Amino acid sequence: MAGQGIHRREILRILGTAAAAATFPGFSKWGFACGHVGNAALQIKPAEYHPQFFSAAEYAMIERLSEIIIPSDQTPGAKEAGVAEFIDFMVSNDPERQYPFRTGLVWLNSHSERLHGKPFPELTPAQQLSVLEPLGFKGKARPGEELGRKFFSLMREYTVTGFYTSEIGFKELDNPALKFYSDSPECPHKGDTEHRHLPQPKS
Amino acid sequence: MAKQIYDVIVIGTGAGGGMAIKTLCEAGLKVCALNAGRRLDPEKDFRFHRMPWDMKFRGLGDPKGESFGYMDNEYTKAAWDHEIPFTVAPGTKWFWPRCSAVGGKTNFWGRSSARFGDIDFKAASLDGYDVDWPLTYAEIDPFYTRVEKMIGVASTVQNRPSNPDGTYLPPFNFRCLDYILELGCKKVGVPYLPDRCAQLTQPHEGHPACHYCGECTTGCDVGAFFSSPYFLLPKAEATKNLELRTNALAKNVLVDENGQAAGVAYIDRNTRQEVEVYGSAVVVAAGCVESSRIMLNSKSRHWPNGIANSSGQLGRNLCDHLYGESARGYLPQLLGQPSFPDHVADSTIAWMPRWQNLNNAHEEDFIRGYSVYPDGGCSEFPWFAHALDGFGSSFKREIKRRYPTPVTFGIQAPTLRSDKNFMDLDPEVKDPYGIPVARMHFEWDENTLKMWEHSKQVCADVLKAAGGELEALGDAPEIPGWSLHETGTCRMGNDPKSFVTNRFGQAHDVANLYVCDASVFLSCTDKTTTISILAFTLRTSEHLIENFRRGDHKAA
Repeated sequence: MAGQGIHRREILRILGTAAAAATFPGFSKWGFACGHVGNAALQIKPAEYHPQFFSAAEYAMIERLSEIIIPSDQTPGAKEAGVAEFIDFMVSNDPERQYPFRTGLVWLNSHSERLHGKPFPELTPAQQLSVLEPLGFKGKARPGEELGRKFFSLMREYTVTGFYTSEIGFKELDNPALKFYSDSPECPHKGDTEHRHLPQPKS
Repeated sequence: MAKQIYDVIVIGTGAGGGMAIKTLCEAGLKVCALNAGRRLDPEKDFRFHRMPWDMKFRGLGDPKGESFGYMDNEYTKAAWDHEIPFTVAPGTKWFWPRCSAVGGKTNFWGRSSARFGDIDFKAASLDGYDVDWPLTYAEIDPFYTRVEKMIGVASTVQNRPSNPDGTYLPPFNFRCLDYILELGCKKVGVPYLPDRCAQLTQPHEGHPACHYCGECTTGCDVGAFFSSPYFLLPKAEATKNLELRTNALAKNVLVDENGQAAGVAYIDRNTRQEVEVYGSAVVVAAGCVESSRIMLNSKSRHWPNGIANSSGQLGRNLCDHLYGESARGYLPQLLGQPSFPDHVADSTIAWMPRWQNLNNAHEEDFIRGYSVYPDGGCSEFPWFAHALDGFGSSFKREIKRRYPTPVTFGIQAPTLRSDKNFMDLDPEVKDPYGIPVARMHFEWDENTLKMWEHSKQVCADVLKAAGGELEALGDAPEIPGWSLHETGTCRMGNDPKSFVTNRFGQAHDVANLYVCDASVFLSCTDKTTTISILAFTLRTSEHLIENFRRGDHKAA
C-alpha cells in the first residue's frame, strides 16, 4: 500500500499546489509547486516577493533578523527557506501581531541608535550581534531591555515556525514525515533497550 | 399521496449513527438517515499528505479564523461546523468543535480503543460513589468482540484488571522512546504497554493496512483506520435500505397523539426550509450534547420539558475527560541520533493504562483512575525549539540534536458525575435556523483535579527513572470539552425516575426512541469512548430489531 500511497501523495500535491498557488500573492520561495513536483508545466515561476504588510525597510530588517536567528551555514537557513515571506504573510493576516512587530522594529532601531548611534540596518554585522545577544540569550539579558526581549522572542518564534514548516526545514531535520513506511517502524537498537550505548552522533 | 413512513429514522452518521444504520439496514429495515452536514470527498476534502508548505497558512490556519479544537485545523476545516453555536453559563469554560460531515468525528478520531470493564460498570459498588451501570461486562463482551473484528484493533493481550482483553491485530512496534520509557515505568512500578489502536497493522476485512504516514487526524485516504464512511455506511448502502439525507440538521423529534416518536423535523440547510420525515422508530445519535439538545428541543404537550424527559435527567450528569500534558522533558540517550519515524500513530502506540485503585478502591486520595498517553520523538514540527535558549548556528544545531528526544505525557482522567455539570437549552440564544442552542455548565471536580496532580508526580518520576530530563510539569489542564469525550446526558438505568434510557439505550418514556451515542454512558471511565459507542450501539440496534420482530414497532 505504501507505494500506492506515495503515488497518490504526488497527485494530491500537484492538484493541491496548482489550485492553491492561483490564489496566492506570488511567493518567490515557499514555492507551491517547488522541487517535489517534477512536471515543468505546473511550476510557478518565482516572482519577486512584494511584502503584504511590512514596508520595504521593515521587511529588510525582518529578513536580516530571520537570517541571524537561523543562519545559512553548513546547511541552508531562513534565507533559502523564504522565512521573511512567511512572516510577512502571516502578520499581514493577523491584526493582533501587527502592532507588536511594527513597534518591535521601531524599538530595535532606536535602541541601536542609543547604543551605536545608528539604526539597526546600518550597524556592522558584529554590532548587530552585540545588540541582539542580550535579547536572545537568557544569560546575557540586561535590565531595561524587556521590550526588546519580548519582540525578539516573537521574532524567533515566527522564524522557527516559518523555517521548520518549509521543505528546507523538513530536510534540515531529516523529518520522517517526508516518507511513508511499509511496516510499523521499530526501534533499531533491540540489544540495547536502555539506549545507553548508541553509536556516537556525528558532531 | 400517503406520507412515506420509514422503519427507522437515524439522526447522525458517526460511530453510533453509522453502526445503527448498518445494523438496521442489514436486518432489512428501511432507514432514513439525517446528517447535519455534507459528505466529504476524500480526494478534495481530506488535505492529508499535503506538507505544511503546501498549505496557505502552513497548516496553522488563518490567524483571523476560528478554531474550536485541536482537530479543527487548516487540514480539516471543511468538515467542522462553525455555524451552530453553543453558549456557556457564567464561570464555565467549554472548548469544543462539532463535526457535521458524514461520519462525524470518526473521520479524524484518535483511534485508541480500549474496552470498558466491570471495574467501570461496577465502580459504584466498589467505591460507593454514584450508581452501577445496568449491565455487566459479560453482557457487552460479545459485542466488543464483534466490533473489534469489524474495525480491527492493534494491541496485545495484557491481563490487566482494569482493561479486559479482546481480539487484536499485531501491535505497533515500540520505538526507541517506548523501550526507554518502559524501563522507567518498570522502575516506578506502573504499566507501559501497547495501546489499543484501531489502525490496521495488516489488511483487515477488505481494508488495506496502514501506510504509516502519521496523518490520521487529518483523515485517511485509503480507510486504513476505522471510520464510519469507510467501514459502516458502504455496507448499509449496499443493502439498498438506506436513504441518507445530507445537510439535514435535525431540529426535533416529532410525536404522535400518544406522545410516541413519529419522525423527525429537520432543516434542509440548502433551502433553509423545515422538512418532516416519518418513521416507526427514531434513533438519536447526533453525539452526546447534540442528541440531548435535539431531545430537549422536542417539546410537545406530552413532553413539555423535552421528549423522554419525565425523569428531568435529560442533559444532566455530563461527564468529560480531563486532558492535559502532565509532564514534559527529553531523553538525553537519543541526543544527536538519526531521525526516526516516531510520529506514525501519534499518541496511540503506547499507553500507561489505569494502575490506580485496582486492588482497593480507596488506595489513593482519589477514587477511580486515569490513564496516560506518552508520546514524543521526531514529530512533524519541533515544538521544543521555542523553549530553547539563544539563536544562530548553535541554536540551529541544538534543534537538530534535540529533535529525536522530546517526551510528553498526556493524561486522560474521568470526571465524576455531578449535579453541577450539565447542559440545557439557552433561553435566549438561537442558532441561525431559530433553534435554541446548547448551554454548557461545567467545572472540573476535586477528584479529577487530584488525579491531575497525581499524574504530574508519577510522570515526572517515570521520566527521571528512564534517565530523562524533566523540563516542565503541566501548569493547567486543557479547557473542558477539549477531549471530545463528553458522556452522560441520557444515562441508562433501570429506574425510569432516575434515568432517561433503559439498559438497552431505549428511552423509558418513549418505547420507539433509542439513543446511540456516549450520552447513555454512566461515566466516561479512563478509556476513550468510540469503541464502546460502537459496541453499545450494536447491542441497542439488535434490541431494536428484536422489538420490530416482536411487533412492538410497526414495520413500514
